[in-house]
Amino acid sequence: MTSLIAENLTYSYSKHSNPVLEEVSVALTPGTLTALVGPNGAGKSTLLNLLQGHSKPDKGKITINGKPLFNNRTQVSLMPQRGKLNWNFPITVEGLVSLGRVNHSKLSCCELEAALQRVGISHLAKRRLDSLSGGQQQRALLAKTLMSPAKILLLDEPCSALDPPAREGFLLIIRQLADAGLSLFISSHDWGSSLNSYDKVVALDKTVLANGSPQEVQTKLDSIDCMRGSYCCG
Amino acid sequence: MSLINTIWWIIPLLITIFTGILCPAMGTVLITHKRLLQVNLISHCVLPGLALAMALGVDPSIGGVTSGLLGALAAESLANKKNENYEAVMNTILAGSIGLGVLLIPLLGIRIDLEAVLFGDLLTANIGDLLRTIFALSTFIFLIIFTYNKIVHIGLDPEGAVANGIKVDFLNLALGFTTALVIVSSMSAVGVILVIALLSTPTLLGLQKAPALWIAMARSSSFGLVISLLGFFLAIILNLSPGPLISVLCIASLVFLKNVK
Repeated sequence: MTSLIAENLTYSYSKHSNPVLEEVSVALTPGTLTALVGPNGAGKSTLLNLLQGHSKPDKGKITINGKPLFNNRTQVSLMPQRGKLNWNFPITVEGLVSLGRVNHSKLSCCELEAALQRVGISHLAKRRLDSLSGGQQQRALLAKTLMSPAKILLLDEPCSALDPPAREGFLLIIRQLADAGLSLFISSHDWGSSLNSYDKVVALDKTVLANGSPQEVQTKLDSIDCMRGSYCCG
Repeated sequence: MSLINTIWWIIPLLITIFTGILCPAMGTVLITHKRLLQVNLISHCVLPGLALAMALGVDPSIGGVTSGLLGALAAESLANKKNENYEAVMNTILAGSIGLGVLLIPLLGIRIDLEAVLFGDLLTANIGDLLRTIFALSTFIFLIIFTYNKIVHIGLDPEGAVANGIKVDFLNLALGFTTALVIVSSMSAVGVILVIALLSTPTLLGLQKAPALWIAMARSSSFGLVISLLGFFLAIILNLSPGPLISVLCIASLVFLKNVK
């Protein structure tokens, strides 16, 4: 069982700029589906980058099972935003998924098949990536993320650009992954009824505004009048 | 003597074959990594190095690769800074480099056949040109064999590649160095300017529906080989310069591509 705890994280992109994150604390526990919501520029992607170990916080610490993240980076895997990938690159679904292996170590066909089956696209293994729909591409990207040995998955806006049925299908898959014991932290702009699909919600806008069950967070945010307009996009 | 007279075409033919294979394969990597503008910069940065090397009595290719590599470093630094005007800055360096090269030739009092450097003079290529081409081809093959998966990862997901522990900056620099080598080695065949056509056009044909980078590279090289050989033999038959002829054939194949689409 792998837990991640981040305490009092503060981060700014340069010494002279204002911090994009201030005193942010979150805890990710096994088998939990946690949503990270906030408006554009709230620092969601920055926080995910810190939790993955891609960037170092100016202040605060991140530990996995009590040990510093730096020594346990393989325990965390990040699925990037759609826009970060070159979708026209000449590669098949299985080619993409096999890149998920840390240091590109050899991959058996059973492992590949298992990852594709978990996200329900094993029939698309030989298809070129740019011939898939947006939802299928996101599933392929999730399968790539699953190839790492990580028990904590950070998903950066995986449902953006997906239509409601594809989004529902995707949420179903990540629920199954959480039920299997993985810890998932998913950033989203979606502050609507779909948040009820998550076990926990963290509302972020440079600092943590609310943290708890979907109902608790919604109640707390409703009491912060100025935030309502920013979040109501679902 | 009569033997030399009858086999004069062997070295140019071998250079045509190797260049026809090498440039499109390299171009496939560069286009999929969205680095073609940087290739343009490198190709224009070669000239000042050539002129300086000749003035110092050094092998011109060493000067060309060095100044091309400096161009690659400038391009890399500009790309990393993500300046929104970096394309304009890059084009300024590109134009300045070719201008500097042209100015250095009379200032240093050296004689360079500028037309041959820019547009190639394949039929007068010598064994040195052939060895440079073989060296560039070997370097490229070495790079691909040992870093193929990493090159694919960087082309598809650069930030993910960094997170996965891949030394992206180092590999990009290695790509820049190999590109400078390829450009200098292709000088005798198609010239530094026209090499862009051979780096781009066959790649556009080869990338069509290719399921993997290596397949796209193999297809691009096949198209490049056909275009280069056609240009070579037509140049001999029609008594024209092969470099420009190969470039014109590249444009013709673009029309073919449009019809196929």
